Amino acid sequence: MKIEGKYKFLASQEHIWDLFMDQKNLEKAIPGCEKMEEREPGKYDVLLKIGIAAIKGTYTGKVEVVDPEPPNRYRLLGEGSGSPGFVKGEATIEFSQEGQHTIVSYQGDMQVGGLIAGIGQRMIGGIAKMMAGQFFKKMAKQLKS
Amino acid sequence: MPEQLKTFEHKKRNWVGKPLKRKEDLRLLTGRGTFMDDIRLPDMKHAAILRSPYPHAWIKGINVSEALNFPGVRGILTGEDVAKMSNPFPVGVPVPPKYYCCAIDKVRFVGEPVAVVVADDRYVAEDALDLITVDYEPLPVVMDIEEAMSPEAPVLHDNIGSNIYSQRFFQYGDMEKAYKEADLVVKGKFHFPKYGSTPIETYAVIASYNPFSEDFVIYNNYQGPFVNHSLVAIALGIPENKMRWIVPTDIGGGFGTKTGLYPYIALIALAAKKTGMTVKWIEDRREHLLASATATDRVTYMEAAVKKDGTILGLKDKAIDNTGGYIRAPEPGCAYRSTGNHTGGYQIRNLDREVLVVGTNKCLTAPSRGYTCQELYFSLERMIDLVASELGMDTAAIRFKNFIQTDQFPYTTPTGGIYDAGDYQKVFQMALDKIDYKKMREEQRNAREEGRLMGIGFSTVVDPSVTNIAYVTLALTPEQRAKGHPKSGSGEAVIIKMDPLGKVHVIACTNPQGQGHDTVISQIVADELGVHPDDVTVSNVVDTHDRLFSITTGSYSSRFASVVTTAVVTAARRLKDKMLKIAAHLLEANVEELEIQEGKIYVKGSPDKSMQVRHVAGTAHWNQAALPEGMDAGLYETCLYTMPTSQPPDELDRVNSSNTYGFMAEAIVVEVDPETGEVKILKWASVHDAGTILNPALLEGQVMGSCAHGLGGSLYEEWAYDENGQCITASFQDYLVPTAMEVPKIDIGHVEIPSPFTALGSKGAGESSCMSVPACIGNAIADALAPLGVIINELPLSPNKIWHLIQKAKKKG
Amino acid sequence: MKPSAFEYYTASTVAEAIDLLERYEDEAKIIAGGQSLVPMMNFRVAQPEVLIDINGIKELDYIRQEDDEIVIGALTRETDLELSPLVQERCPILLKAVSLIGHASIRNRGTIGGSLVHADPAAEIPVAIYGLDAKMRVVGPSGERTLEPEEFFLSYLTTSLEPSEILVEVRIPVLPQKTGWSFVELTRRRGDFYIVAVASILFMEKGGVCKEARISVGGVGPTPIRAEEAEELLAGQVITDELIKKAGQKAAEAADPESDYHASAEYRRDMTRVFVQRGLTEARNTAKGG
Repeated sequence: MKIEGKYKFLASQEHIWDLFMDQKNLEKAIPGCEKMEEREPGKYDVLLKIGIAAIKGTYTGKVEVVDPEPPNRYRLLGEGSGSPGFVKGEATIEFSQEGQHTIVSYQGDMQVGGLIAGIGQRMIGGIAKMMAGQFFKKMAKQLKS
Repeated sequence: MPEQLKTFEHKKRNWVGKPLKRKEDLRLLTGRGTFMDDIRLPDMKHAAILRSPYPHAWIKGINVSEALNFPGVRGILTGEDVAKMSNPFPVGVPVPPKYYCCAIDKVRFVGEPVAVVVADDRYVAEDALDLITVDYEPLPVVMDIEEAMSPEAPVLHDNIGSNIYSQRFFQYGDMEKAYKEADLVVKGKFHFPKYGSTPIETYAVIASYNPFSEDFVIYNNYQGPFVNHSLVAIALGIPENKMRWIVPTDIGGGFGTKTGLYPYIALIALAAKKTGMTVKWIEDRREHLLASATATDRVTYMEAAVKKDGTILGLKDKAIDNTGGYIRAPEPGCAYRSTGNHTGGYQIRNLDREVLVVGTNKCLTAPSRGYTCQELYFSLERMIDLVASELGMDTAAIRFKNFIQTDQFPYTTPTGGIYDAGDYQKVFQMALDKIDYKKMREEQRNAREEGRLMGIGFSTVVDPSVTNIAYVTLALTPEQRAKGHPKSGSGEAVIIKMDPLGKVHVIACTNPQGQGHDTVISQIVADELGVHPDDVTVSNVVDTHDRLFSITTGSYSSRFASVVTTAVVTAARRLKDKMLKIAAHLLEANVEELEIQEGKIYVKGSPDKSMQVRHVAGTAHWNQAALPEGMDAGLYETCLYTMPTSQPPDELDRVNSSNTYGFMAEAIVVEVDPETGEVKILKWASVHDAGTILNPALLEGQVMGSCAHGLGGSLYEEWAYDENGQCITASFQDYLVPTAMEVPKIDIGHVEIPSPFTALGSKGAGESSCMSVPACIGNAIADALAPLGVIINELPLSPNKIWHLIQKAKKKG
Repeated sequence: MKPSAFEYYTASTVAEAIDLLERYEDEAKIIAGGQSLVPMMNFRVAQPEVLIDINGIKELDYIRQEDDEIVIGALTRETDLELSPLVQERCPILLKAVSLIGHASIRNRGTIGGSLVHADPAAEIPVAIYGLDAKMRVVGPSGERTLEPEEFFLSYLTTSLEPSEILVEVRIPVLPQKTGWSFVELTRRRGDFYIVAVASILFMEKGGVCKEARISVGGVGPTPIRAEEAEELLAGQVITDELIKKAGQKAAEAADPESDYHASAEYRRDMTRVFVQRGLTEARNTAKGG
């Protein structure tokens, strides 16, 4: 399913770029991320415990930062698999300055496969959107601290 | 047409035709049925299947070490084992895919088995599934039927090189002439969805392997045809007599989808062989909705060459069936089962056909109820309405114009079908009368003035039953067939015996899934032998070691009513002949003078010259020396009956694909809510010619069930996949089977036009309205939405879909 | 479809339940009717390590009137709500909403508390709760708090309950006589999760004027929403067909639905309009006493 959105941060574009490239911030912001280890620059192994309320699943996988064009855009690729199935996503994240604010906009695609796709199709779209939102809220929190 | 077509004289009946209560019901209603899950064997272990979450991917590796060490796990079977321990299943196409019961190096649909865990119970087995890690390398998917045929599409099977499993061209009559003589050519494109049958009892297998005698014993709820016993034997690399299949008394519904069980029989058998355990596997509902079997989805292009007066001179069509990630037997039957009745109930003599069977990353198929005819008739009957619309002709009138006439039976279709008997006009007229057609058109006129969307739809279709297995060989050209071995037949076997006290026991192999076969058999035997149905017991358990069965045995293509009943009658008459011969010998009378009635055999005209049936039976068993010279002792007779109308295809690709042909007329009046797109059914008449009615109560049940089933495919049910190949209808929350609340009142009618080819004149009715309802509802909704310019060419017609069609038409207009 | 292993405890008082929740926190799940939880466990999308069975907490099973509120214990079975003369008389909109939940066998076991805490985005009771401005009373180790619907429901399947809190009661203001109400929904089949559901409440004044309107819509977001701009259109007005039409359009603008296999976002948005219109028309009729 398609996911897209826009967030406004009160900071300079360079500052926001650094924020989004920092592994520590990514680890705190990626929903359910419990462990994140860098294998190579820009390539991370992750352990995700993603869920909503009682519905939880553990996924092991990787996150990659590709095609970085500082400070304007990069692509984020992620995939994880576990007993509930797999999740796979990719998004292009773009940064632009608007006065004192930086606009972060993202456009991407998310795939969910296996059990959840088979029995949860009516909520997957909304939940994916919600988790994308959570990622940016958590990033905004890092900015404040 | 075979030279001497055996026809039967139909006699007067006492029991057949009565709505006798079912013998089966008492045990079913009190929980005393024997279903697969009731079978408990000593030291039985339980299996859970690991299934692919990817629609298309290489399997780079499987790690089962953690799972193997989990407490309670007895063993694990993987694709690597399956490749070593078995062969691919044979299938009747020139270049077959390598289809094993488990994925080996590649998965091709979500839900495909990847490994089997055997454990002390199912809970532990599922715990262990979570511990298996599989390294998948995902591949691009192909989900669309037409895209699958393009050279750019991802290829599912490298050894085939394309996604086309089967392709053939057929010409019958002279389509060029039809085009020349036509006043108009009407074109349409139709899309029939992928949907299935969801029996209430899912697949089940209990397998064990004896390493000393090297044979398998496998309990399962397979429904036939038992050709698949042979295929599984080939896959397992064993002779057939080393594999015993036992099907219990009770199966909770099959509807054709339990013909897709056989790969799981092989899989669990291999799990039993590898682990040395007796292994039980009960499929759960999610597994069923992912990886059991459905009918094919199909895209059809159709053109009709017609005259201004509504006569249809010829049809050209291209039909593309999708069997999913693999093609497996009995496919490509999906393309050929309806060959004989391709032209339905109409006098269309010229055809030009292109038939394709392709693969996409969807789950596999089997002969689900209505097999091929749902897809065919959706196109054909929608086409009839499109032609009527182009010509400004009434949709009922155009059907009457083209129907086969009553004096033309038995009627041979251009494709080789031999229609036994029918009166299409009578059946259709009854349906029209039931809905008060003229009044409905008046009401429609008023409704349209008020802006209400009321529609009337028909479908008038030929219902083929009793498959002639010859049709599958149409996948080969006549030249290819000439080099190989022909196939034909529709045989069914029955043993009838009378015990020393004159009670009767019938042994059949129809493995019923709830149709009530035992009841009907007892009615037939009661009529033939002058006993009471309560004196007749029936055993319908299939045991491939003990029972008389053949390639064609089983319950599928609605064959019980025609071929099984004929086998029962024939066997019963053989037994009756023997009884009369014994009585004649003992009474010192002539056989021709004797009559059986209500337990007594007597000389016609001298009723006191008689003896009890049970004394005849007693003599046959107890006093064997008193029998006529040369006569076998006891009272047993057998009949393995195959219908003589089951011949191989000829060199012009003509084949009588079925053996009896009923007829149905469906008439449905709907109103569509223009705001929500919801469809309300205002009236529904369903009229059937199933030949002689064997038991009206059972027939009513079949008609109601098939109507509900067809309603499902029209408005609710779809086996849906997203664009990434994920099955998104893997629970009943999303796969919408209509409930009692969704099924309206249906006015059912019957017309009995007996078949001369069956002993009792009966034809099949197990599939019936499944074939006609989707087309009829499609037509009704098309009629309702005609003022808005909406085109209807696909199903299911959910409110969401109808709403979008209405919005689209509004934008255009 | 077999659940993974779990430990099982029963609680016979609220205090015991809270104690167990404190001990096991994130690993524990309360089970009452189990009509949502058990299928999730059988599918293994939920794998709680501990189940706390509260079916024995009799003190949570009641329906009574306290002054101008109907108070309902969290463990009250949905069927009991349907059969309650008090609910029928004083809160018929809740009765109607409950009667549309699943099928009778589900309602026999399902509880009002369970439905609220599960917070399914296509459940009927939350839509009625938003329309009624009902309050949820929640108890935890540090005491109790009372939450409004917007405070209680956060998102898909998510409420603001802390891990060791338990919902104990729902408090519903009794509606004045002559209040118009309706509860309508669009489903594929009888008993299914709805595509949209609308609860409408019209507080009436003399002269057929609507003093205050409440329009609560479910199925168009992670939680039910109140179509506030549509409500404002009707406040202080005589409810005409024209006004109902406008209110429906306004409500559709407030909806932010997702697409799924059964209904596209556009369809849901338009059905919001249609069902708000149908709901308001029906509510206006009940207000007239029709």
